[in-house]
Amino acid sequence: MRILLENFTKKFGDLTVIDGMNLEVRDGEMLALLGGSGCGKSTTLFSICGIHRIDGGRILFGDRDVTRTTSQERNVGVVFQSFALYPHMTVEQNIGFPLKLRKEPKEQIARKVGEIAEMVHIEELLQRRPGELSGGQQQRVALARALIRRPSVLLLDEPLANLDAALRLEMRSEIRRIQKETGITAVLVTHDQVEAMSMADRIAIMDAGKILQIAEPREMYENPVSDYVASFLGSPPISFLAGRIEGDAFVEPATGTRIPLRPEIAASHGGRAVRLGIRPEHFQPEGGIAIPGRISFIEIQGRETLFDVELPDGSVIRSIQRANDAVRIGDEVRWGIDHEKILVFDENGLKI
Amino acid sequence: MGNSRHLGLMLLAPAGIFVILFFLAPVVLTAVFGFTNMSTATGISGGAYVVSDSTMLALKERYGEQELAERLLRKSYVIDEAGLQAALEGGAARPTVEELREKYLGASFGSRREVERLLKKLYNRPAGIRQIKKIAAGFERSVVNVRYDTPEALLAAIEGYGITLTEAQKEALAEVSYTGWVFTAQNFKTMVELPDTWRTMANTLFYVFTTLILFNTGFALVLAIATHYMPDRPAGFFRSVWLLPRITPPVLYVLMWKWLAWDNGFLATILEPMGFAPRNWLLDTPANAWTFIILINGFVGASMGMLIFSSAIKAIPQPLFYASEVDGASRWQQIRHIILPQLRWPILFITSYQTLSLLTSFEYILLATNGGPGGATEVWALATYMKALNNYGGALQYGYGAAMSLVLVVIGVALSLVYLRMFNFKALTESPKIEQ
Ligand SMILES: Nc1ncnc2c1ncn2[C@@H]1O[C@H](COP(=O)(O)OP(=O)(O)OP(=O)(O)O)[C@@H](O)[C@H]1O
Ligand SMILES: [Mg+2]
Repeated sequence: MRILLENFTKKFGDLTVIDGMNLEVRDGEMLALLGGSGCGKSTTLFSICGIHRIDGGRILFGDRDVTRTTSQERNVGVVFQSFALYPHMTVEQNIGFPLKLRKEPKEQIARKVGEIAEMVHIEELLQRRPGELSGGQQQRVALARALIRRPSVLLLDEPLANLDAALRLEMRSEIRRIQKETGITAVLVTHDQVEAMSMADRIAIMDAGKILQIAEPREMYENPVSDYVASFLGSPPISFLAGRIEGDAFVEPATGTRIPLRPEIAASHGGRAVRLGIRPEHFQPEGGIAIPGRISFIEIQGRETLFDVELPDGSVIRSIQRANDAVRIGDEVRWGIDHEKILVFDENGLKI
Repeated sequence: MGNSRHLGLMLLAPAGIFVILFFLAPVVLTAVFGFTNMSTATGISGGAYVVSDSTMLALKERYGEQELAERLLRKSYVIDEAGLQAALEGGAARPTVEELREKYLGASFGSRREVERLLKKLYNRPAGIRQIKKIAAGFERSVVNVRYDTPEALLAAIEGYGITLTEAQKEALAEVSYTGWVFTAQNFKTMVELPDTWRTMANTLFYVFTTLILFNTGFALVLAIATHYMPDRPAGFFRSVWLLPRITPPVLYVLMWKWLAWDNGFLATILEPMGFAPRNWLLDTPANAWTFIILINGFVGASMGMLIFSSAIKAIPQPLFYASEVDGASRWQQIRHIILPQLRWPILFITSYQTLSLLTSFEYILLATNGGPGGATEVWALATYMKALNNYGGALQYGYGAAMSLVLVVIGVALSLVYLRMFNFKALTESPKIEQ
């Protein structure tokens, strides 16, 4: 079911956390709300499910205006960051709780719990209590409880934040699998760009209560609206070079290197101070426009090696390459920037 | 290891001494005293052996020794040194006294007439019948109301008066004539036999469980849950209000209730125009008295439960409330399925703690109704206090009081065990109460 936020505003006392947000989550898609800590992701999520009353605007589920309805009436499944399992109930009772509240017959609850437990692979844990489960198992229980009512909407608040790295990887695909299987509309809150990119159909990137850009992961990675968005996506992160557009090229002031730009950019922004965004995979030993620098840092990541190359004025460009033992810290190198792939941002950080 | 264990014991020793002195000893002493007949009459140290009216009664009733009792009551006459001395001082002639000493020292007689006859027959016969009567009276001896330190002394004295006793009689006498306290189970027999006991017990159970269920647990729960759903400031204010009775000095607090209920107090004043004749609403009827007693104690007792329950509710992680809301729980379902299960342990604690404290506390009843009207609100602890420490007649029955206290202790322990079973204490302590 489609979710629509119109001019949604939320305040805590005098503090306006969300100011007039507009957001559409399409039917059946998984949308990631990505942003730094305190930007209002959870607040948005809690407003969608009705835990928070909103101070302005409307929330629509499909065509139904749910702004004034309580969370009990919205039929939303939520997986909380802490999982919020009921400690005094068994796994079976936890999962069946939403149905029990609706006074469904016992056998029907048991059957549905069995089905959903099978889907999230926890059939053998039904008689345990949450305290006797691992983090990943608790996660699955929370997911099962959120899904058992066949909710119109599934909301996930940093569902993987409390898991260790290996489990996180596993649950990422599990959640995605289950979401696809059920075809449910889902909102995933996360501050981890890898999670957002790998799980979501689209990403909405947030900062200080505002949505900066909504796009599919690849589109957002390749075509960010601003340097903030560009720096949020990608690991290792993008590097920036400050300089000026002269003629048909960007001029790096410290080395005098000229990097040709696409004609339409160069033509309309001549003489402007800009910043170049260079992703690590676009700064390589071979090809591109060579720029002189010195290796200042090497991080070995196994299959790949990460290099920091320092220019004479102290600015740094990152490069990620297939494992490369040929260079050492302090070596002078002339690696090339792939000028076809560079991003250009104006003084305000907006992409040109 | 060994050293640190000794060190620990040493450090604990002072606390241990206090525990034994102030916690353990009173219980043990109560248990011991409960099996004695200590009272103001017996004193709390040892007694003496005295043949008194009550001794004679006991002889007749308990041992059927009617004859012996009557015989003990009759006076004996013994020619002894004390009697001779008294005769000399009373003006008898020295030769008369000497003759009596020589011939009859140690002789005993059953009646005064016999002594008078003997005196008349003397060679140095006293001059005049008045003199004879006076000397004879001087030899009058009785065991009645004379204190002897040992039973042997008492028996020797009795036998000295020419009364021969069988072994059984001796034993009976030694027992009934003792004025000090003795060990006995009589207190408990009396307790079972007295109808008052049962009435007091019924009062106590009614008082404890009504106050407990309505206020100390019930109302405390209502307050805690209600304030949980209120905004912080009003909730804090509300909770503080309910703390006031607890921190008001009991005498003042009860005085205000009395002022409320007096025949020219608040209630009487506002009810009079509505056609209710002024009266003392507090002591008017047993039902009224109970209502006030339960309100007075309940208002004081609710605050503790409220505080404990409130903090237990606060300890429930907020996401659990959120989760239950999105799961579709109404407020009532939230209370029933989220809050109450998490309050099991606090409820058990408050219930058992308050049962014990209600069982033993009687100060508010003492101050408000003093057990009235006509013993309608007399509870066990109050009755115990009255018996043991505060009897109008001044006859305090320590032993009986201690026996009553002991019953209270036994009931308290028994109830605690029942509660632990009821709330499945073991399961509670085995698994963590609140996870996450
Ligand atoms: N109940 C509340 N009362 C007052 N302020 C709040 C409340 N909840 C959140 N805030 C504030 O609103 C802002 C957004 O909070 P929110 O929890 O939505 O952040 P978030 O994006 O989920 O961050 P995180 O990634 O750390 O969870 C923060 O500045 C926070 O301090
Ligand atoms: Mg959050």
